[in-house]
Amino acid sequence: MELWRQIFIHGMNMFNLLIVSYFFIGNGVYTLLMVLSLATVWLYNRRLAYQDMDEIRESPVTPPVTIVIPAWNEEQIILETTDSILQTDYPELEVVVVDDGSTDLTLRRLIEHFHLVKMDLIYRPHIPTQAVRGFYMNPDLPKLLVVSKENGGKPDALNVGLNVCRTPYFCTLDSDSILERDALLRLMRPVIHSSLNTVASGGIVRVMNGCRVRGGRITEVALPKSRLEKFQVVEYLRSFLFGRTGWDLMGGTLIVSGAFAVFHRETVMDVGGFAHDTVTEDMDLIVQMHHWSVKNKRRIRMSFTTDPVCWTECPATLKMLGRQRRRWQLGLCQTLWKHSEMLFNQKYGLVGNFSFPFHLYVEALGAVVEFLGYFMVPLAIIFGMVPAMLYLLFVLLSLAYGGLLSIGAVLLEELTYRRYPGYRDLAVLLWFAFIENLGYRQLVLYYRFEGVVRFLMGSRHWEKVTHVGVAH
Amino acid sequence: MPFLIEYVTEVVLVLFVLALLGNLFLIGIVFLRRQQRDRFFQRIDALRIQYGPVIAGVLSGQLAYPKGLQELREISGADRLFMLERLCLENKPAPAAEPALRRLCEDLGLVKIWQQRLMGQIDQASLRESLVHPHGWVGRVKCLQFLIRSKSAENLGLIRHEPSWPLLVKALEDPNPDLQVVAVRSLAAIRHPGSFPALVDRLQKVVLDPAPVLSVRTLKSGLVSFPLQNVHELLASLRHTNPRVRFLATDIIREMVEREAAGHPDFCLDQKKMKGDLAEVFLTELPFDANPDVRARVGPVIAYLADSRSASALLALLGDAAWFVRLHAVRSLAKPKFLSHAGRIASALTDTNWRVREAAVRTLRGFGSAGLDLLTAHFLVTQDRYSREQVADELQRAGLIPELLARCAETGNGRETAVLSHLAEMGKTSYMISVLESGKGNGHLRKKFLQEFGQYPDPQIHRWVEQEAVLESDIDVRALAQATLAAGHPGGER
Repeated sequence: MELWRQIFIHGMNMFNLLIVSYFFIGNGVYTLLMVLSLATVWLYNRRLAYQDMDEIRESPVTPPVTIVIPAWNEEQIILETTDSILQTDYPELEVVVVDDGSTDLTLRRLIEHFHLVKMDLIYRPHIPTQAVRGFYMNPDLPKLLVVSKENGGKPDALNVGLNVCRTPYFCTLDSDSILERDALLRLMRPVIHSSLNTVASGGIVRVMNGCRVRGGRITEVALPKSRLEKFQVVEYLRSFLFGRTGWDLMGGTLIVSGAFAVFHRETVMDVGGFAHDTVTEDMDLIVQMHHWSVKNKRRIRMSFTTDPVCWTECPATLKMLGRQRRRWQLGLCQTLWKHSEMLFNQKYGLVGNFSFPFHLYVEALGAVVEFLGYFMVPLAIIFGMVPAMLYLLFVLLSLAYGGLLSIGAVLLEELTYRRYPGYRDLAVLLWFAFIENLGYRQLVLYYRFEGVVRFLMGSRHWEKVTHVGVAH
Repeated sequence: MPFLIEYVTEVVLVLFVLALLGNLFLIGIVFLRRQQRDRFFQRIDALRIQYGPVIAGVLSGQLAYPKGLQELREISGADRLFMLERLCLENKPAPAAEPALRRLCEDLGLVKIWQQRLMGQIDQASLRESLVHPHGWVGRVKCLQFLIRSKSAENLGLIRHEPSWPLLVKALEDPNPDLQVVAVRSLAAIRHPGSFPALVDRLQKVVLDPAPVLSVRTLKSGLVSFPLQNVHELLASLRHTNPRVRFLATDIIREMVEREAAGHPDFCLDQKKMKGDLAEVFLTELPFDANPDVRARVGPVIAYLADSRSASALLALLGDAAWFVRLHAVRSLAKPKFLSHAGRIASALTDTNWRVREAAVRTLRGFGSAGLDLLTAHFLVTQDRYSREQVADELQRAGLIPELLARCAETGNGRETAVLSHLAEMGKTSYMISVLESGKGNGHLRKKFLQEFGQYPDPQIHRWVEQEAVLESDIDVRALAQATLAAGHPGGER
């Protein structure tokens, strides 16, 4: 009996140590990212003072771009999105909307709104995809092409877009998103001015909920009404303004949001397009491109910039939020597992030695450790193995530090883009940043834990987040 | 374990207090920053209201220059220069207003300051001033001074200040990449002939450098902004031993030519625009260059040359081994003056590469009705499946199906009917059916279509005939549809 007791105590102690290590390593890296991002974003914003958009707009060497929008049952928002894209300020632009076998009126609405006619065009499946049902075009609006295909999932729809794309770069955009007019010009700037082959360029995704939208444009930026959405506003700021900026600065980019990103077509073709075996095809593509670069000994660059803005609809209900976060976590685990040979692999440099391990141990497995911690540590207190005071202090520290990171993201927003104009909005953002760790973080953690469990159970199910058109 | 409990508690407590203070500190900074920005915008708004009309008046000539200058000199404060710069340059000036703006910037002393800053002579604000001056503390940190220098280079380019070009050329050698990029852009805006060789030289260095700071695209973008008169400076690069330098030089000339030709249908490269020796290089050397990229980019320039050999040079490129050379050659031939060579261009319709086939289709279509005739004739006789597919694709993309249907209804068994028949045989009937269903097609057209194509073994046609047999309002057409169905539709049997 004594032996079992010793084993139990030892196990609990080990777990407590693990929790503490996770806390310090995770938050240490986040703090590093925040400091780096504060400096980078400030500097970048200063540099914008002499970066003229006209030059890119008018230059004949600005490469043409195709925007690919995969859509499945998006009848509520597809017209707003397509309208917004067609108004995008870019010299040579093509738009391909891929209807992934929608069962609602997505295709019908597009046909009627843009006066499209069905055509039997040539389809060259350089990357194998589900069958294409038809092409829809309006000869008077040649830059828009709608492709209708059998349902095959988002990666399959993206691959169809890639197959019909003719330009050297293409931009992926979620069908529930609205681009700012000059977002693509801004996104292409690092591609144009880079002396290296920039294979991916990501921009910032912001929450559209609560904003006023007219004619495919955001006319008034405002915070959403519900608390759930407000938390997500803070979360997106943190994730994009300091998460991705920091990784980009260190050259350790593993995630570029496919909701709004530009990719080099030839490189994506070379890696075989968007893979079907994970539910986060965007992250998988980035990792594949790292592989490609090492394998072919080609120097590539991935860039993340914070001024090209894409507005997207975040989940407005707990059910949809759960679906989204489970999928993200499942996709993260799948991608990391699929490319596990990168872990501490010297060939991959900083990506293999730092970024990949961080994403594996902190972002993926961290969800399990943190989730179990909420049960194990109280258990340890009950058994008298950890003083209640220490536990309480640790929880408070965790909350305060989490708040610090979120408030840091709001500070970054304030130092740079100030999209939320009123003092009231600012106060609300700060308040939600401060209280994010009281309930919301635990809720998201639960969904993430579920995502890990689904990964362990071998699930590959893509959970669809239904959008309801929450912008005014 | 005792370590964890007894010592860690204190550490955690300290960390918690620090984190809490950090929260408060950041919140304070957020609000301070917001206040500071608000004050800044209030000031600039007030200045805009007061001096905006003055600047607009000076630039448009509606306000006497000395009076306007005097009023602007009255702006005071630590941020005076910054505000003046902002007010003068916040709107891109119309070309007619540029001389006045340049003079204004010179007389206000801005140009001199920008030039000094560009050269690295940055005025050090006092510590107190640094706190209120927008550039203040940035100017005090040496590694951040490139921000001010780059902005100054940008400003000189915005007002196209010609005398500053030597300073900008010097800035091309600066180690800071931002400054280099802005210098290229400003030189491109000023377009002084003296700076063109320096940019060409920089291009060569960048190409030959294994890890260049500046991107080739940036330099190319700058070079192509210059007028065609400078093109002779690229002659040496066209004969450079490095194939990439040759390619870029050719491509830059191509861009310059196409830029100049845009909007001028009769544009041609005569002796005035391109000297004889350079034209000779394009006609006799570059089409045989070992680098296929060079051969590809040479086509568009040759197409504009006022030389009787240009057509034969382009047609020779149609037989090149590299598909993209053939592609560019076909595209280059898309000019009315090459209409007489349409037959030779049509041979590219059966090229092994689909992009060349597609370009050939588009080139022929660009020739108007003559090209279209050639295209449809080819479509009707060719046995090449890929070529037929390509033509069918273009007929649809270009929106020609409604016109073909209308002409088919008018003329009966003409070429249009044969083309539509071919399309129906290939199963390319979606567009036709869309036209018939959309109401664009009248009763006569539907009747004609039923007569000509009603029996085609195509499921889409069959569905449409079935619909017509039930829903058609025109009694004759409905009866014809019913008769077609009664005769047994092959499409329905499949």
